[in-house]
Amino acid sequence: MKRQRGFVLIVMSACMFLLLAVIGLAFDLGRVYITRNEAQVFVDAASLAAAQQMDGTSAGLDRARGAVRRLPDRWNLGTEAFSGVQVEFSPDNEHWDSQPEGDSQPKDAAALHFVRVTAPDNHLAIVFLRAVGGPESFTVPARAVAATNPVRLAE
Amino acid sequence: MLELAISAGVLVTCLAGTFQFGYTFYVYNQLVSAVGNGARYAAQRTYRAATPDDIDRGNAAIRNMVVYGDARPLPDAAPAVAGLKPEQVEVQWIASKGGAPEAVDVSIRDYTVDAIFRAYTFDGKPFVEFPFIGRYAPAEREP
Repeated sequence: MKRQRGFVLIVMSACMFLLLAVIGLAFDLGRVYITRNEAQVFVDAASLAAAQQMDGTSAGLDRARGAVRRLPDRWNLGTEAFSGVQVEFSPDNEHWDSQPEGDSQPKDAAALHFVRVTAPDNHLAIVFLRAVGGPESFTVPARAVAATNPVRLAE
Repeated sequence: MLELAISAGVLVTCLAGTFQFGYTFYVYNQLVSAVGNGARYAAQRTYRAATPDDIDRGNAAIRNMVVYGDARPLPDAAPAVAGLKPEQVEVQWIASKGGAPEAVDVSIRDYTVDAIFRAYTFDGKPFVEFPFIGRYAPAEREP
């Protein structure tokens, strides 16, 4: 009669692999969805804050960037500040210009009526899915466009 | 048989933990959406401040928006997040020196997620700040 010892070990190994995948789906994907949601709420608020400051002058554009920086909204379960946030301006919601901050000679600040805020740098560390071949981190970018006069969300 | 008993213990513990965190994250995600929607509503609505009572009624409408997705919910309305009550939503206005609102902070206070195996309490999270872009009406009453 053949010995059958070790069978549970083999089955458990297979089960643990599947279990890690299930844990990863629940834990890591759960955090990814939260991060995406937090980022979208942030860019919505940030784009409105920026649009509110735009008054047709280059100083208004600088104030718009400052308003985005000062927003206290956070991500990763409300623990980390957003970094690498991009603020771009457009006259028509089609052509975007991420003019460097402090530039005293804007192309035409008076013609800019749209602001787009992108939060791209949230590299969320993946914990469990990494063990079954998933990525080490996941980026969940979010973007919102706001318009001036009246200040409103355009996208 | 002994191996199976030990293995089953590990498996059940892992599955319980998975459920616990998965459900807690699910609820937290719902809270983020609710707070975000409520804060956006607060930022866009007319801020009526004829009396302190009008400000309180406006804040109550914002809390209802967070909890029920409706500023004036029906009496039997169900909350968007299980067990969330309007009094667990904190609304704080940031005002200029002249009293006009500049921004609104909305957060959740003392909300407990019961994930069966363990309960988590959120206090001050999720938190959202929106700039106020609505109309400031210091002499108007809330309808």
